[in-house]
Amino acid sequence: MRMTKLLITMAGIVGLALVATSLERRTAGAQQPQTSGGSDRLVVQLCDGETKLEIAEARAGEILPPEKAREVARRMMAAYAEQQAKQVSKWTARDRLTWEREQKRVIEEGYKLFHDWKALGGTIGISCDMCHPDAAATHPETYPKFQTQLKRVAALRDMINWCIENPMKGKPLSPDDPRMIALEAYITSERKGVPLDPGKH
Amino acid sequence: MWPLKWKKREQEYRRQREEFFEAVKRLNRRDFLKVAGLSAAVFTAKTVVPPHSFQVVDVVRAEPQEKPLFRFAYISDTHLYERELNERFVNAALRAVRDVNALNPPPDFVLFGGDLAQLGQPKELELGKQILSELKVPVKMMVGEHDWFLDMGEKWRELFGPENYSFDHKGVHFIVLMSVNEKDFWTERGMTPMERMLTVAQLDNPLQSRFEVGEEGREWLRRDLAKVSKDTPIIIFSHSPLYKYYRPWNFWTEDAEAIHEMLFPFKSVTVIHGHTHQLLTHRIQNIHFHGMLATAWPWPYAPEGLPKLTVPMERPDPFDEADGTGWGSVDVHRDGYVDKHYSLWSRNPITVAKAYLESWGKEAIPPAPEFPPY
Amino acid sequence: MNGWEMRRTKLLALGLVLVGFGLGLGGTGTTSPVPERFQIQIPLGIPADLWELMIPAENPMTEAKVALGRDLYFEKRLSVDNTVSCATCHDPRFAFTDGKPVSEGVGGKKGARNAPTVLNAMFHEEQFWDGRVKTLEEQVLQPLINPVEMAMPSHDAVVAKIRGIPEYVRRFQEVFGGPNPVTIENIAKAIAAFERTLLSGDSPFDRFMAGNPNAISEAARRGWELFKGKARCITCHEFNPSSPFFTDFKYHNIGIGMKATQNFEPLVRQIQQMVQENRLTKEALDRLALTEGFSELGRFLVTRQPKDLGAFKTSPLRDIELTAPYMHDGSLKTLREVIDFYDKGGEPNPNLDGGIVKLNLTEQEKADLEEFLKSLTSDWVRRVARGEIKLAAGSTSENPTPRLARGSRSSRR
Repeated sequence: MRMTKLLITMAGIVGLALVATSLERRTAGAQQPQTSGGSDRLVVQLCDGETKLEIAEARAGEILPPEKAREVARRMMAAYAEQQAKQVSKWTARDRLTWEREQKRVIEEGYKLFHDWKALGGTIGISCDMCHPDAAATHPETYPKFQTQLKRVAALRDMINWCIENPMKGKPLSPDDPRMIALEAYITSERKGVPLDPGKH
Repeated sequence: MWPLKWKKREQEYRRQREEFFEAVKRLNRRDFLKVAGLSAAVFTAKTVVPPHSFQVVDVVRAEPQEKPLFRFAYISDTHLYERELNERFVNAALRAVRDVNALNPPPDFVLFGGDLAQLGQPKELELGKQILSELKVPVKMMVGEHDWFLDMGEKWRELFGPENYSFDHKGVHFIVLMSVNEKDFWTERGMTPMERMLTVAQLDNPLQSRFEVGEEGREWLRRDLAKVSKDTPIIIFSHSPLYKYYRPWNFWTEDAEAIHEMLFPFKSVTVIHGHTHQLLTHRIQNIHFHGMLATAWPWPYAPEGLPKLTVPMERPDPFDEADGTGWGSVDVHRDGYVDKHYSLWSRNPITVAKAYLESWGKEAIPPAPEFPPY
Repeated sequence: MNGWEMRRTKLLALGLVLVGFGLGLGGTGTTSPVPERFQIQIPLGIPADLWELMIPAENPMTEAKVALGRDLYFEKRLSVDNTVSCATCHDPRFAFTDGKPVSEGVGGKKGARNAPTVLNAMFHEEQFWDGRVKTLEEQVLQPLINPVEMAMPSHDAVVAKIRGIPEYVRRFQEVFGGPNPVTIENIAKAIAAFERTLLSGDSPFDRFMAGNPNAISEAARRGWELFKGKARCITCHEFNPSSPFFTDFKYHNIGIGMKATQNFEPLVRQIQQMVQENRLTKEALDRLALTEGFSELGRFLVTRQPKDLGAFKTSPLRDIELTAPYMHDGSLKTLREVIDFYDKGGEPNPNLDGGIVKLNLTEQEKADLEEFLKSLTSDWVRRVARGEIKLAAGSTSENPTPRLARGSRSSRR
């Protein structure tokens, strides 16, 4: 039952994709000749953004009659199923998009906290960026390392908390506080690509 | 242990100091003069000496080969909030004042290097004026971006006068040059004055424009320089480094080259600048550049663009709130070039000698730190 | 490469050889075939290899030398009127301090500084509150001739006096050999060697760190967390397994001695003058350090750097319960006074260390910190202080070299 519903939904999506792509093609075709595969045959794209199918019996820009469209839809579903069978990754472009957006969102949240003493619970008007513009001199790539303030090997988050508690005169964050994660995300993003060098002073 | 009279003086001093700050808290424009009078009483009364200063100790300074013509001191980048919010920066500024006052012999004058206030607010600027009014020698004021961008200099001019001016002292022509103008980035974004101020106050905020002397300022400078003979030594005070070090943080003056062109014809030019809160040394042809320490906090060195002649200071230890900060003094020689002394509060003092710059870094090399920036 | 690194490398090589040899011997079941090879049990918590590294190559440890050093440590004839020995101010009953605000030498003359403990002094890179000498050997030389301490007129006079005691001459001969074994250098070496056996470890806190959570009270455990965190103690009173001495061996101005407004300028000028005229000898420096007023200049006397004015070495904290009163001038009577002093952010003064800030500790937190500090007392030191273990000179055979009880590791030299 559920399977049937899913299939109908999929077919619907494919149908929509087909129409959309056709429209797009028609517009594009007006500007430059369809050259896909060295011919001007109609190419349709599935809404996954990757799966493409060339329709031998239709020209670019041509609107397919409903029967033919259903046939194309069936072929596309087959192509899609074939693609899926070959796929070794469980992740899709959509997943990656989500990851990137979330990463960016958390980095931006970290950026805000880094530049806002009130949001981070500081009490004397001192924010992180006042000593660390663009997170300079935070060197996250050197952690864990011996910190002279703590007299022990410490993680970056230990130092973040140390700074919140001492120069900023605020209350330290719990290690799983989203604000802590956001700060780590921002600080490390500023040193992306720098080789790890734990213990460097 | 110590004579009782010292204890009494100490108590009296503390009491009056508290009164002073109480008065500062209640400060409004109308009361200004009254409080200024009280301040003077607190800090200059003969019977109430402030606690001894340790910066009287001048022993580490090696006898210069050539006796300098005169000395001036500087205090810079105090970044004062109101005292109720942040006592640390207030205390640091007071410490610098006390140290400079203890210099023996006293300097000819004191340069204030800009960024007196953190957010340009009248109360911050007035507090700064109060603190600096304790100095026993004349003060030359220079504006910083933190003092300027809330009201575009209105309060500053009221308290301290024009932002561009020059004076002559013992044969040297001094120029205080406003170098932290920015092209309008706020109008089209519909920013409030405080939003504009906060944008500029954030060093790494890319929304703002780059510092510049600007066309008007350059014109003023051109006219000022026209009055001076080419062999008169010139010392320029600017808040931003009058060259291009690191653009994203405005360690930078956009029209630096145009200024240099105006200065190249002169025999001896020295620029003393604030804003960077670190040891900084540079030379372009005949122009020697020296950075000033902040009293408030040290900036890290920028990721790139550090002038080759700079021997950096060691990364400060944030446990020690005074580390990497301090004040300084400048010994001016007959030819106008200077020995620049960095009086770091938690480290041994460092001198960047005239000979170091004249030899392009081959002689009189300042000590290098064990843990330089990276 | 600095001196420390050089010495370290040299000693490391030496240490490896000796330890290796020792292990070989252990394998054959022999106990002590080489009499010169010194045995000591390093107490729990103190790194045995560090003990070896800190023994100077020019003054190797031997049983006979340590025994001689011990007798000299308790020898009052080293003072001008036969009333003061090292142990007068570094008395085992007070964890090798004297229980007085400032030490008293011959004729009850007062210095200006509180006697620091000899325990673990060998681990300090510099000796005295101001670090004015590097080694224990150099340290020993100063009190002998300081007029407010043992007050001998000169080192030659000290040597002459010891040479007049045949028993000592015989033992110096035994230990050092050569035609002329009684020298001031050898006196210092023997005493320093003995002092290198005065180790403090194996406290309840060391057992806590070694894995027994119940070795210290719950209050002490809370105090330990405060010590590392909110109270900011650990940054200067450094503790970690590699450096378990509760000091960073650095110098800080916390405001002690700054309680009165004192104009230091004239004193500073006098020091400058002395330096310029080459008059600030080691002996002169030692006297100034124990002279009221000059004493308060602290580390500045040694470095003549502004940042060191009023700065003194971070005191180690082991056995602190037994070493009252506190601070370089003995001006604070109890641990609670010390905690209160730091809580208020030290004593404001122009050179106050930027790390000294108000702490806002609660009463409970202060009590917890105090409990923690009391967990740092070595069992051995406590027993010595109570007189349960006697270190006094005299009968060497009945008073063997201190075997530091319950040591976790032993080491052979």
